[in-house]
Amino acid sequence: MDSSAFTDVFDEWTDSALEWVSDNGESLFDYIRQVLEGLYDGILWLLQLPPFYLIALVVALIGWRLVNVWFALLSGIALALCFWMGLWPETMSTLALVLTATVIALAIGIPIGIAAGFFTALDRFMEPGLDLIQTLPPYIYLLPAIALLGYGPATALIATVIVAVPPAIRLTSLGIRMTPKEFIELGEALGVTPAKMFFKIRLPFALPSIMAGINQSLMMAFGMVVIAGIVGSGGLGETIYGAIRTLDIATSINGAIAIVVLTMVIDRITQSAARLGTGRKA
Amino acid sequence: MNLSTLQFSPGAFLAPSVDWLNTNLHPLFAAISYLVETVLSAIEAALLFVPPYALIAIVVVLAFFAVGLRAAILAGLCLGFCLLVGLWTASMQTLALVTVAVMISVLIAFPIGVLCSRHKTLEAVVRPILDVMQTVPPWVYLIPAVMIFSLGRVPAIIATIVYGIPPMLRLTTLAFNQVPKVFIELGSAIGAPPRSILWKIEIPLAKQTLLVGLNQCILLSLAMVVLAGLVGAGGLGAEVTRGLTRMEMGLGLRAGLAIVAVAVLLDRLSRGLLDRDRLPKAR
Repeated sequence: MDSSAFTDVFDEWTDSALEWVSDNGESLFDYIRQVLEGLYDGILWLLQLPPFYLIALVVALIGWRLVNVWFALLSGIALALCFWMGLWPETMSTLALVLTATVIALAIGIPIGIAAGFFTALDRFMEPGLDLIQTLPPYIYLLPAIALLGYGPATALIATVIVAVPPAIRLTSLGIRMTPKEFIELGEALGVTPAKMFFKIRLPFALPSIMAGINQSLMMAFGMVVIAGIVGSGGLGETIYGAIRTLDIATSINGAIAIVVLTMVIDRITQSAARLGTGRKA
Repeated sequence: MNLSTLQFSPGAFLAPSVDWLNTNLHPLFAAISYLVETVLSAIEAALLFVPPYALIAIVVVLAFFAVGLRAAILAGLCLGFCLLVGLWTASMQTLALVTVAVMISVLIAFPIGVLCSRHKTLEAVVRPILDVMQTVPPWVYLIPAVMIFSLGRVPAIIATIVYGIPPMLRLTTLAFNQVPKVFIELGSAIGAPPRSILWKIEIPLAKQTLLVGLNQCILLSLAMVVLAGLVGAGGLGAEVTRGLTRMEMGLGLRAGLAIVAVAVLLDRLSRGLLDRDRLPKAR
């Protein structure tokens, strides 16, 4: 059949193209990998510096300030449980991966989102691209990342950033566009400088939406980081992947509990932070 | 008490109960497996029985009449691509998995969603559960499924069904809440039985939002089915996994692009239905 001939040619072509890219761009990819891994190592080092109860306590305190006492108690105990299950290093490296990826995604997404909020043309130009990224199953973003960067946390980070950027762009640009006309006119009437207009009028109105975007980015990042266990990202994803492959039920249950705990805690905290921002503005 | 030496493993407690379930409820799980396998194999066989070109032609014609010319061309291109890259069988397996999962998800989610919109107390109970379900990373759904049904297509489809329920349920409730009360009152005023009110008044008025829910359900199910390649579900996900783990980038890329094609196809067709529905109303 002609399709098998085509696939052979396709595979060969892909391999040689990848070879060419990795031969010629090796230093570039090495550089990218070093930067990503450096960032990740830095955050991980910070997270591993204090003992577990200190982190659980800090999270509980934040939860107490932002949500309520019950949430604080529960999240503190739940995080301590991650330690008692013997999964603390994995939990922290998952958290470090998520934080690194989200920070990068926000550094990319928020400026682009702000630009898209001001220029409708850019927004319309990016819309189909963002749609496509969000339509495709996240799993496949590991492919280009692994082809260029090989196994390891850097690959997981790249794939996670791809998944986490669209909500940040979308909700930032939405927030910028939502500024009520009257306030912009008020600013113009008062003759404020464009910089002041942006920081004092547009940004405060956009903040709730941007916070929602950060929450969404974080959640997407969690979903992806766990999947990325298959490419050797380290952390809970890899623990569970290994446990499932060997049908080690106890470990996979523990890993699942740790992931659920971590996700729920981060989600509720960022959601409450977003709501608090909205409440103050309203 | 020294906190750092404390050790506790819920998994070690739960593992025996899973074992107990597996030994004592084995006939039940076997029956579920058998049922799922039979339905899946039937759909897969039906999709693969038709020669690829004929199936593409059928889909194109259906898409043309159901949605429009652009959707028909797009459907032809997407399916043609799957055939061209030599992943026809895998694509059909994935489509069969998604179809079965979405059907069951909708069958479960729709009635519960309708009930939630009728009874606020039920909604108050269901909503926090849905919140948790939608926060948890998709990977986690595969774990209990694998523990009970081992590796293969059955855990994949169970996880996919569970993962697809929340968006459909939420949007069904929303859809039925959005139906203007006036129309329902009109229905009861002219003495229509509840069944007629549901089918003739509520469902047509809720159709828009229901289709959005269906679109979401399909896309999330596809994402899950692809991910389930990791637990041996077969289909395109398995090809991607093979490409990733053996560094066969050509295969991985082909499978990845085929997934893109399938995703775009499913998205455009389900969204096309929605847009077609919207146009006459806008006029």
